[in-house]
Amino acid sequence: MRPLDPVTSKQRLAYGLAFFVVFVALWSWATFGGHVSKVFLANPLTMVQEGVDLITKQGFLYDIGMTIWRVVGGFVLAAIIAVPLGLLMGAYKPVEAFLEPFVSFARYLPASAFIPLLILWAGIGELQKLLVIFIGSVFQVILMVAVTVGATRRDLVEAAYTLGASDRGIIRRVLLPSSAPEIAEILRLVLGWAWTYVIVAELIGSSSGIGHMITDSQALLNTGQIIFGIIVIGLIGLLSDFMFKAFNAWLFPWRLA
Amino acid sequence: MTILKVEQVSRTFPARHGNAPTRALEPTDLTIGNNDFVTILGPSGCGKSTLLRIVAGLDRPTSGRVTLDGREVTGPGADRGMVFQSYTLFPWLTVRENIAFGLRERGVSEAERNKIADAFIRQVGLSGFENHWPKQLSGGMQQRTAIARALANDPKILLLDEPFGALDNQTRALMQEMLLAIWERDQKTVLFVTHDIEEAIFLGSRVIVMSARPGRIKAEINVDLPHPRSYKIKTTPEFVQLKERLVEEIRTEALKVAEHA
Repeated sequence: MRPLDPVTSKQRLAYGLAFFVVFVALWSWATFGGHVSKVFLANPLTMVQEGVDLITKQGFLYDIGMTIWRVVGGFVLAAIIAVPLGLLMGAYKPVEAFLEPFVSFARYLPASAFIPLLILWAGIGELQKLLVIFIGSVFQVILMVAVTVGATRRDLVEAAYTLGASDRGIIRRVLLPSSAPEIAEILRLVLGWAWTYVIVAELIGSSSGIGHMITDSQALLNTGQIIFGIIVIGLIGLLSDFMFKAFNAWLFPWRLA
Repeated sequence: MTILKVEQVSRTFPARHGNAPTRALEPTDLTIGNNDFVTILGPSGCGKSTLLRIVAGLDRPTSGRVTLDGREVTGPGADRGMVFQSYTLFPWLTVRENIAFGLRERGVSEAERNKIADAFIRQVGLSGFENHWPKQLSGGMQQRTAIARALANDPKILLLDEPFGALDNQTRALMQEMLLAIWERDQKTVLFVTHDIEEAIFLGSRVIVMSARPGRIKAEINVDLPHPRSYKIKTTPEFVQLKERLVEEIRTEALKVAEHA
């Protein structure tokens, strides 16, 4: 090993898999070897059995579907509001000066701390879950989009002006397309965070979803189900991230050319 | 008829972080007539780019005014095409779309846009690269596209800010010939900023020499070399004589800059 020396893609895959082998091996050693009590940690085999049971007999796929819908719904809602607002803030400095202090403050409000308040306002229905995701994502996206748009290369803007572009043309044909790949990356990043908010929202006052299943399993001391639920969240997150990446690469071929 | 008039234009950059204000450009007068090819020659930091940016409307003069055909310049516009030293093609547009940017902004139909763009693509020798992204082009090809992009707008005057400054010597020489050929055929009014003496003589009908900071026009020299000019002209006695004269002019200015640094 030398600093910054690259690895081949085959090696990369092998190293990545090796981690999971080591992880499962340690887990098996701790559980099958009797070093950790069954009450606290199920062994890998039990976890798989519980998982199959969850999906085939307890309608876990419905829970997964509910959770995905909540994440996507809240996230899309946040993106629809945040991207245009961020664009305006990045483009027009007075708008930025007006909103930036509030957004910067609101960004640090933990979405989970709003759950009790949101239950008061919106009940324990779907709206409340969507709002948790929304609050958790919207301020982050606004601020990051504003920064990205504000950092648009000045020489490109000047070139567009000398080509006769209007102010509207600058926004539509320079600021937006030049920031679009970054905005897509921001959305990909924030979608990952949205996944952590949805589970918290489902832990409290919910009758469906992966988070709800996890709280139920805790009451029954079924650690196998809990671990299976956590793994499912990780896998879905990984999958959505992968899809988002592929979609971005397809959308912005000029970046990779 | 195009007449660009620069009247008593000066530029002072305001004081910053306790530093005194910087006088970048002394009050300057300059008149450029129809189909003139004027090169502005000066050492770095002489305010020549500042002057060009003021003409383009990208910077405001502290005093004085710029008029194009009698109308005062108050901001950038399509009547003054500009080519920058840095690569300013829009990376998300193909070569053809880059060249058609200004046309599209004016609402020209797509068929018409492509026709005009393709004509300019041929003129700058980029046939076959219409659908390439800027990233896939060499520096010289990018600047050729940038020139085509500015020309496609059919501006009254073409402003070039050291457009070949970042290119290697061989490419630079070829680009000079290409630009000159376009000018000889189409007759455009051109204002070209450079710090390269040979480039200033080879391209220009008139060379304006600027002094070191604060910038002002120090000398104006007519270049009476015949057109069309080929690269061979660079070794003729007339060319060499002009070059010697300009070397002296520039050298004293460069020394001043070096002493201040």
